[in-house]
Amino acid sequence: MSRIRLIAIPILICILLASMILAVAIGPTNVSIASLFSPETAGMIVRDVRLPRVIAAALVGCALAVAGTAMQGLFKNSMADPYIIGTSTGGSLGATLSIVFLAGAGLPVLAFAGAAITTFAVYTIARQGGKIPVETLLLSGVALSMLLSAFLSFLMYTSGRSLHQIMFWLMGGFWNVAWDDVFIAILIPIGCVAIYLYARDINIISLGEEDAIHLGVNVERLKRILLFASASLTGIAVSIAGAIGFIGLITPHVMRLIVGPDHRILFPAAALAGGILLVWSDTLARTFANDMPVGIITACFGAPFFIYLLRSRMRA
Amino acid sequence: MKPVEIIDIDVSYGARKILEAVSFYADRGEILGIIGPNGSGKTTLLKAMSRIVAPDSGEVRLSEQGLGTFSFRDLAQQVAVVPQEISISFDYTVREIVMMGRHPYIGRFASERSEDLEICDHAMHLANVTHIAGSSVHEISGGERQRVLIARALAQEPEVLLLDEATSNLDISHQIEILNIIKGLTEDITVISVFHDLNLAAYYCDRLIVLKDRRVYAAGPPKDVLTRETLNTVYGIDALVKPHPLTGKPYILPTYKYAAKRQPERGVHVVCGGGTGSDLLYALHKEGFRVSTGVLNVFDTDYATATALNIPCVTEAPFSAISPGAREDLARCIAAADAVVVTAMPVGQGNIENIRILEGYRNKRIVLLNGDTHRSFQDCTGGEAEAIIYGLLERGAVTAERIEQVLQFLMGSA
Repeated sequence: MSRIRLIAIPILICILLASMILAVAIGPTNVSIASLFSPETAGMIVRDVRLPRVIAAALVGCALAVAGTAMQGLFKNSMADPYIIGTSTGGSLGATLSIVFLAGAGLPVLAFAGAAITTFAVYTIARQGGKIPVETLLLSGVALSMLLSAFLSFLMYTSGRSLHQIMFWLMGGFWNVAWDDVFIAILIPIGCVAIYLYARDINIISLGEEDAIHLGVNVERLKRILLFASASLTGIAVSIAGAIGFIGLITPHVMRLIVGPDHRILFPAAALAGGILLVWSDTLARTFANDMPVGIITACFGAPFFIYLLRSRMRA
Repeated sequence: MKPVEIIDIDVSYGARKILEAVSFYADRGEILGIIGPNGSGKTTLLKAMSRIVAPDSGEVRLSEQGLGTFSFRDLAQQVAVVPQEISISFDYTVREIVMMGRHPYIGRFASERSEDLEICDHAMHLANVTHIAGSSVHEISGGERQRVLIARALAQEPEVLLLDEATSNLDISHQIEILNIIKGLTEDITVISVFHDLNLAAYYCDRLIVLKDRRVYAAGPPKDVLTRETLNTVYGIDALVKPHPLTGKPYILPTYKYAAKRQPERGVHVVCGGGTGSDLLYALHKEGFRVSTGVLNVFDTDYATATALNIPCVTEAPFSAISPGAREDLARCIAAADAVVVTAMPVGQGNIENIRILEGYRNKRIVLLNGDTHRSFQDCTGGEAEAIIYGLLERGAVTAERIEQVLQFLMGSA
């Protein structure tokens, strides 16, 4: 077990780098990766279309996986993820407001604000006497998502020409990604490192809040930090690629099976795996599926996995 | 310098008061037990000591320093808690859980040093979990999991160890195993533990704090605190307290009757004799009535029953008539009772006063047991007793043939 843990991170790093190189090489147009420095169209495709897109996909995957891992640890519950508890929907609504009323101005800020406010609202609604039971968490997430979806539908209904752009946020995808987005995505590693500093605290809070206090964790502060950081990561991810579901749910879960529940290893493992997963999902989407929104692909893999999780929990 | 001092704390959850004016202390190296019925505030008291809840007023002090002045990390270095049970969502190994006890000593940017590993190993050795260090906490038994939590608490190297019924969910052998481990620690550590099992508390604790209705009802060594009276007042049970034949510590033997504390206490005086009242006395006692009896002579079977049940009894020397002093005591008992039950006892000149006195209580409810007629009384007074009984029946005394009827009558007419 511990041997797997030691080699898991280097192996995942290698896979991620190889995946990114391959993903830059693969695409609907047949251009070689060697044309990276060529001044012609082929070089432009690699430099300004594929490269930023692959980097963004890797970083967004990291962000979603780390946010999911943090929320699962915080909520003591492997069902939590930024999509399920409505954070992504909140981010999408923020983005949509920006598109409809501000012609896309301040979109990252509004996406972040939407994600953060929604997370705090779900947290407050689900909280019962200091605890956050799984049922109320999922239900209040669903309930709030429905409400936000209603607002979203209303905005779409009245949006006219921005409808297509809004659809983009709802389905999630990387087709508009340019270097600008990659510069925003640089914030993602910062957020991940901030969360990683609390990995040991998250190990402990996953035993329960009172136990965490007994072991010297400032629980309320930790919760605020984690919710803020997860909402930030989700908000950034949404502002770049829209609401992509299930990465934040599946990745921590699979990685926990492989490297164990210690968040000091789980966070980097999940971050790398999230990057790998999203790079390949996106490559699949743009190469073989006519640039279909990548959220469709992640949902196709993620939803059955979620059902499997529910069933195996019921058996346990 | 006391390791723990509780100074006049009040604790409430919202509008509900949980603890009022609670004060006590713990000495270095002692095991202090906290006992009391459900809802008396035991767990809350422990939570106040580990700063899970904050008192409304008063202060908790650790080595003369207010609890509020500690940071979370500093407090976790001083106080460790073993909870009653823990649900662990993720598949941690035993060693990982125990190592979490070192968290308050490891900085945010640091990881475990070899010293932490050694302390962790030592803690696992003390709690006897070394052999399962690599197992998942989901694979081990409840007793083992509880020992893991003790090891984790020991890894914190605390001055004070708080246990919240840490062995309540375990079988007797695991309870003893774990409490022996804890008893072995107390040279360096002060242990404060909530107990439900009074016999375990009596054996393992140096002193006990008894909580009742949010307050400290009694405090002191087990032999002073665990008395029949205290158990009756605090738990509403009747129990014999004997010294344990091997340990000499108090041992509690419940009589398995329960006094429903919530009901208004009802007093019954039983006039009986010659063994005619024993069953009734036991039945009334078991149902939680406040029973008195007499006048009985000290050789009477009913007197022996009353004594064994701790029922107050007006007594008289054998073979003598009821003295004015005994009559006065009897009058007091009857006045204090809500009802009087007279059994079909043999009545002679010696005890006729027991029923004659009832003529003076016109409004007292009187039940005559075991006889549809007065004739089942063995009248050895030449009709005098019979006349008194007739008179009682005239004035509204009821008769009953079985003890259940008596109980029904007494309970039905509140």
